[in-house]
Amino acid sequence: MIVDVHGHLGPWFFFPSEGTAAENLRVMDAYGIDIQLVSSVEAVTYDPVAGNAALAEAIGDEPRLRGLFVIDPRDLAAAEQQLDELRGLFVGVKIHTHYSATPAGSPAMADALRLCADADLPALVHTWGTEILDLADTVASVPGARAIAGHMGGPAWRLAPEALTRTDRLWLEPCYSRPDAGRVRWVLDRIDPQRMLFGTDSTLIDPALAFGAIRAAHLSAEEERLVMSANAIDLFDLDLS
Amino acid sequence: MIADCDLLIGREITSGLRQTPEQLAGQLAQAAIDGGALASLRALQFDVQTGNDEAAGAALRYGWWPVYGIDLRDPLGAEQEMDRAADHGVRLLRLAPGRQEIAGTAPRLRILVRRATELGMTLLVEGSTVDVGTGMLGLGASVVFLDQHFYDLGEFILLARDEPGFHVSTRLLGSPGAWELLLEHAGPERLLLGTRAGWFEEHAVLDQLKGSPLAPEERELIAGGNLRRLAGGSS
Repeated sequence: MIVDVHGHLGPWFFFPSEGTAAENLRVMDAYGIDIQLVSSVEAVTYDPVAGNAALAEAIGDEPRLRGLFVIDPRDLAAAEQQLDELRGLFVGVKIHTHYSATPAGSPAMADALRLCADADLPALVHTWGTEILDLADTVASVPGARAIAGHMGGPAWRLAPEALTRTDRLWLEPCYSRPDAGRVRWVLDRIDPQRMLFGTDSTLIDPALAFGAIRAAHLSAEEERLVMSANAIDLFDLDLS
Repeated sequence: MIADCDLLIGREITSGLRQTPEQLAGQLAQAAIDGGALASLRALQFDVQTGNDEAAGAALRYGWWPVYGIDLRDPLGAEQEMDRAADHGVRLLRLAPGRQEIAGTAPRLRILVRRATELGMTLLVEGSTVDVGTGMLGLGASVVFLDQHFYDLGEFILLARDEPGFHVSTRLLGSPGAWELLLEHAGPERLLLGTRAGWFEEHAVLDQLKGSPLAPEERELIAGGNLRRLAGGSS
């Protein structure tokens, strides 16, 4: 089984795209992805309130797509209110540090993660550069918060093992449109494999990049079981029935 | 046959990693890449002549195309190295403005591209049209942008209408449908397989090659035909 914890649903402004659930499923089928956790492109790049509602509608009858609720830390009141209404439709949260102009080490991020902890939802947080360490420190400072460092810091992936030493409530997700050679293996050799999840950033990025990086890492059978599905099922408490 | 337009040996200063010709050959073999266009990081970062000789020697040994690097920090030396490349029958030059911290708008870049074009060279350029395209415009230059990201693929396509010599490497075109969009608007002659094997996860690109619904003739061009045309024959 393959669970992709880093997906999106909706059209991207970089290229023509229908942005429908059918498009997600077509790509998932092409790569053998069983379940994909998706956040709304509209919510990430423009308006969380409109985007989260549209996503809930789009995936309501599609069991292979599970929702990530987008929070803009600059407007937690709106997030809190909408989460009350839609809580049961989402398995986790997505926070994008760039689009929401909220660095991972900021007080606003801590407040957003506090909201996630209160809702008992893990958060996939975009991390780029050294902010992967800042995110780790923020997670450590918020009791009960659980976060996944999306992109594993991007170009700063060598900091990922250090980030995991700062809290046992941080996980890694390594998708990256510029995958340096040997990156996933290098990190896995330095961490507990229970701390890495599989993600693609589809439909922004072709899953070939994530699968290519995983293939190059030559996962053991146990690493494959954990990284490709089991860790995600545990962390997001996914109902597979 | 699969040929890669973006092969590098040497030591990469920012990561501290090295790749010898032997290691690269092994990397290509495991990925079923048959060869490609080889440049030296020594030439791009430290000394053009000894670096380019290193690349030429390795290319000769393994049957790859040699690529001469030039150093934009020394534009007069770059002119001389271009002439040396021409004397040696080398058709491919690698430019690394970002690595050498020379702005894509620097006048020297445009002047050197014009000179390379007059010499009949194809330029393998680190960077995208956003970063360095201005320096290539309107010169009739033959260029392969090695770091064109899919975020900016639309800009490349707009430029390709007026610039028949503009090409792009596959390495960072990693969005669903990016290759198909490029083929539709610019044609298969503009896309070259580039993986930067050993430095970048080459399987990420090769899996796209396998998964893209290409006609056999399109695949042949992308996987090696276009590079053969630009490099001037077989390696």
